[in-house]
Amino acid sequence: MTLKKTPLYHLHVEQKAKLIDFGGWLMPVSFSTVIDEHKTVREKCGIFDVSHMGEILIRGKNSQDFLQRVTINDVQKLAVGKGQYTAILNKEGGFIDDLILYRIEEDAYLACVNAGNIEKDFEWFVSQKQLLDEVQIENESDSFCQIAIQGPESENVLRECLPDLAESILSLSYMDIIQTEIHGEKSYLARTGYTGERGYEIYLPPSAGQELWQKLQQTDIKWGVKPIGLGARDTLRLEACYLLYGQDMNETTSPLEAGIGWATKLESSDFVGKEKLLEEKKLGRKRKIIGFLLKEKGIPRAGMNIYKGEDQVGTVTSGSFLPSINAPGGMALVDFDSIAVGDQIEIDIRGKRKLAEVKKRPLYSAKVK
Amino acid sequence: MSYPSQLKYTKEHEWIKLESDGTYTVGITSYALDQLGDVVFLELPDENTDFEAGDSFGTIESTKTVSDLYMPTSGKITNTNSDVTENLESLSEDPYEGGWLVKIKPESDASDLLSAEEYESFISEID
Repeated sequence: MTLKKTPLYHLHVEQKAKLIDFGGWLMPVSFSTVIDEHKTVREKCGIFDVSHMGEILIRGKNSQDFLQRVTINDVQKLAVGKGQYTAILNKEGGFIDDLILYRIEEDAYLACVNAGNIEKDFEWFVSQKQLLDEVQIENESDSFCQIAIQGPESENVLRECLPDLAESILSLSYMDIIQTEIHGEKSYLARTGYTGERGYEIYLPPSAGQELWQKLQQTDIKWGVKPIGLGARDTLRLEACYLLYGQDMNETTSPLEAGIGWATKLESSDFVGKEKLLEEKKLGRKRKIIGFLLKEKGIPRAGMNIYKGEDQVGTVTSGSFLPSINAPGGMALVDFDSIAVGDQIEIDIRGKRKLAEVKKRPLYSAKVK
Repeated sequence: MSYPSQLKYTKEHEWIKLESDGTYTVGITSYALDQLGDVVFLELPDENTDFEAGDSFGTIESTKTVSDLYMPTSGKITNTNSDVTENLESLSEDPYEGGWLVKIKPESDASDLLSAEEYESFISEID
């Protein structure tokens, strides 16, 4: 299978980025080193090519009703110009995907979905349309370049790059989105991200994306802008305890287990998978996601077993050295009743038990707002 | 990246210095370090442990991946570099001197060792 390439691929090659296969895409994993890039985003500003992410547009008079029925969050509370974190579930209450849903017009929504799930999600949305008229679903993933600008200096960087939009940029609150023009092309600018830092995500046509990507790197040296690969994107999101589909959760994990009950509207209208979640709540949750930090040397990795005494109580879902905490740590899916914050656990790292402590999530406090 | 000509190399991206007393000093090449990225954990064996040729004597772990370290020959670990396990930056700063990992007393001569030139052509093929 040939790997897919983003509209910025040739620019990454020119910059000698290290490239890897990520869910069928040839993506930059690092431009310098993961730790250097990680710190750039925490301290200055990093830019990410996230064009592999999918964009599905849902339009039409009944789009709100439709989305209320297929996503877990409350779409009736989503105003035009706002985004919300949500998920789509199968009938068993397991994740098909997690996504950000933006209401871009009265009757138009933009769903930003995971790269590896684009086809699956699109087909599922279409299959759920059933008898509902006046809903159009389009997979627009190939028409968008997506660039994330993240870090404490991201606002300054973006205002320098897009002076015509300086005022709009200043007025954007967390999870806001505006429809605008960038380099003469229709674009969307959102104040969201996946790093735990203040930042923006821009959806724009490929040619405008290429222009913006280059312009971002030519901003005043005092902002310290650097391109960032998927390696640091992973350590940044892990410190902020943002879930990664396929690793922290999948089709057999429920949003309650994954710790996103806050985005799950069990009290309002019905959605696919809700019955199972109500049942899970009534019978008592079986598993939950926790954060942990290692108290010894070693690196926890996905799939490693977790013990409390002699009992195996769970499995690491994501693990790494965490640069801003300067310790190894990660997230794990564990038995609901056997583990609490502050507990000492052991992680089996290639046959050796290493001591770890269960921590409050997030491991690193997000500064997104 | 440099590959000093007085050293020998393996296809596992280790370098070996044949010391005058017959022992081997072993480290990893700048190519391997560049491929790994930031090294965040290094685990070396206890001194005086015996290994067979090809055994894993330790692990080196970066933010991206974990790799085994392999014995270039059967023998006993006589020394390990505790400075480098405490100060992982020294690996990439000085891979061929301060960044040595272990010293081995070999049971027999290592076979299949590459010269610097042969190693460079080996990595140009896999790159």
